[in-house]
Amino acid sequence: MTLEIVLMWAALTFYAAATAMYGIGVTFSKDTLTGRALLVSTVGLVFQAASLGIRWERLGHGPYLGFYEVVNALVLCAAAFFIVVAWRNPRLSAAGIAVMPVTVLLLGGSMLSSKAEVAITAKLASYWLFIHVAFANLAFGAFAVSFGCAVAYVIRHRSAGGKWVRRLEKLPAQDVLENLTVRFVLVGFLFWAIMIATGAIWANEAWGSYWSWDPIETWSLIVWLIYAVYLHVRFTLKWHGERLAWFAIIAMPLALFALIGIPLAFNTPHAGIGGYGKDL
Amino acid sequence: MIRTVWRGMVRFLGSARLATWLLVVVGVWSMLGSLVPQGVPLESAVKAWAASNPLAESVVNAIGLHQAFSSPFFLACVLVLGLCTALCAWRRTKAAIGKGRTLRQAAAAAADRQSLTEVHDLGIECDPAPNGEEVLSLASGTLERLGIKTKRRDEVLAAVSSPWSVWGSPVFHWALLALILTLAGGQLLRAHGLMGIAVGQTKADAPDSYGVVSSGPLYDWGSVHRSIRVDALEPDFVSDGIDRGPTPTVSLIDGAGNVIVKQRVYPNMTLKSGSLTIYPVTYGLSTTLSMVTTGGVETGREVLFVDFSGETTSGTVPVDHLSLSDKAGNLRYTISATVPLDRRGDAFVQAVPAQPTARVVVSTPDGKPVLIGAISPGERIALPGAAGSLQLDDVGYYARLQVVDDWSIPLLYAGLFVALAGLTLAVVARQQIVLVTVVEGPDGVKLVAKVRLWRNSSSSRSEIETELTRALSGAEKGSTT
Repeated sequence: MTLEIVLMWAALTFYAAATAMYGIGVTFSKDTLTGRALLVSTVGLVFQAASLGIRWERLGHGPYLGFYEVVNALVLCAAAFFIVVAWRNPRLSAAGIAVMPVTVLLLGGSMLSSKAEVAITAKLASYWLFIHVAFANLAFGAFAVSFGCAVAYVIRHRSAGGKWVRRLEKLPAQDVLENLTVRFVLVGFLFWAIMIATGAIWANEAWGSYWSWDPIETWSLIVWLIYAVYLHVRFTLKWHGERLAWFAIIAMPLALFALIGIPLAFNTPHAGIGGYGKDL
Repeated sequence: MIRTVWRGMVRFLGSARLATWLLVVVGVWSMLGSLVPQGVPLESAVKAWAASNPLAESVVNAIGLHQAFSSPFFLACVLVLGLCTALCAWRRTKAAIGKGRTLRQAAAAAADRQSLTEVHDLGIECDPAPNGEEVLSLASGTLERLGIKTKRRDEVLAAVSSPWSVWGSPVFHWALLALILTLAGGQLLRAHGLMGIAVGQTKADAPDSYGVVSSGPLYDWGSVHRSIRVDALEPDFVSDGIDRGPTPTVSLIDGAGNVIVKQRVYPNMTLKSGSLTIYPVTYGLSTTLSMVTTGGVETGREVLFVDFSGETTSGTVPVDHLSLSDKAGNLRYTISATVPLDRRGDAFVQAVPAQPTARVVVSTPDGKPVLIGAISPGERIALPGAAGSLQLDDVGYYARLQVVDDWSIPLLYAGLFVALAGLTLAVVARQQIVLVTVVEGPDGVKLVAKVRLWRNSSSSRSEIETELTRALSGAEKGSTT
């Protein structure tokens, strides 16, 4: 087993431990444990970044080719987004109870998948690839944190008057949580738009057509429309509270499906790029 | 009456609810469209899907889901969405003008402490009462912890956004509208198609030169005076250590015969000249055949294309055929050619064979083969019925190029850039007015504040009130006036 893989397993272990600590810390009001879970998550992030860095150095390209690399990069961004937010606002650390399980499931899935090394091909040999994929990862990171904030909102809202309120009282106020959810959706929406725009420009450079309605392009647009609906109902129809939080909770898995599920399900010209090197 | 109807229509089209529902409908339609193969009913993927899903096919076909993104329903939704966006952008522009004015007034009011003491949103009694300076210092620290950095202007703490901060959303919506219009205009004025050109061959950029071509109703072929030539084709071109695949060298020639651009064309290295983009889709082999009379005089020369195929015994299939007619213009024979490929192991080598030959099939108009023969370059084969002979001049490569003439692409890029700039501004720029000052009276010291948080604030009004109250007068909330 290479150092790269050992580090990745270590990262997964730390993320899993952080997930357990968040679960116990929030359930039993152990604030110290919740605080330490953030530290453990950070250690996991360092290991994961180191592992991906080694792979990058070895293969000569960033983590954006093949299922293993794509999912890993998404997890890295989601974890990094959450950890930065939680370090800046420690009261948000409890949102890790929603974000960290997602990272564990995704990273675990990628560890069990093929770690095939996909070479840069003519269509991939473009600096647009880096920009396009980077913004996809950043968008997912922002959506994952919005998901975490929305889950925290719903848990506290549902347990109004119950014992969970006391346990979650260290979280920011409900309106602040909602505001944070909206802000991360906004950031993710912007990054997703940049991903689509750079993807269109790259597609035009790579194969002479900026939009082909292939399933990945279509689903990236669908996710963008879903979040556009979210922002419309929030800002113009003035939705607030639990139903808005549920919207953010349901939208994030759809973004994940667009990024991971569609390239697996469809063999498109894009599939070679997003996915995982099936066909170019 | 007309005015009432007009207003009602504008109100309906400008409603946020309609825009939201249209976004939902377009999203759901796109989801459904992604689940079925897209294309005309004759395309193989569509036919295969229809055969395996006969029940669903009847519904899918009836609602036009195989052409989901060009169906009248989808285009109508996009059209109405465009109208909604226009009205929405107009409203947002008016709102931005109003907000900008308010921000300018607030910035001016920061110097007018008197008006702030008279009209404010929050009033918090300070208990115990420190002096005004301490109150402002505490308030400044509290607001900074909440992510609101204030500037001190005399006795007023001010955090007032710049008036340009409100323009992100209108700019984004106008740019979206411009993008929709550019896309629509681009479809009307663009032409795109696939053109096969053998190495050394030059073809005029005209509809007849294309195998498949599609042009918008406003595209003017008459104004196109250029030709495209393929100078060379390298099946395995490598640069920077990367195999670029089959790479043709393409020349673009103007109406006077001057070469405008000449370059290798491969993925991420398309040929661009003005609104024209040329991209290599695939490649194959070409056979150059001459018609020779019984007297040995060459009467014509044609290039037939041959595609690679793993499903035939020779490794190639004919792309097109040559028609032979008699003097009265009646079709006598059709001629097609394939080129048997060399093998490496079990696989065909997709290149010109070391000893190239063309397998020529001459058929009657009803498709019945009357002559099948193999000839090498320079050899002839006699056609049936004393119709002369056919000579193979050459076996080479051809490139199938995608040629797109679309002036809208640079405009689309510009629209995308403006839309993203507007969206970035809408996401990043705070839109807030926070003005805080202290009123000292016989009842003690009171902090008064004007708070307007429109967008992207790091806090909420209630949190600001709670935290200021906690900092200045214990845990309970202040009075809101």
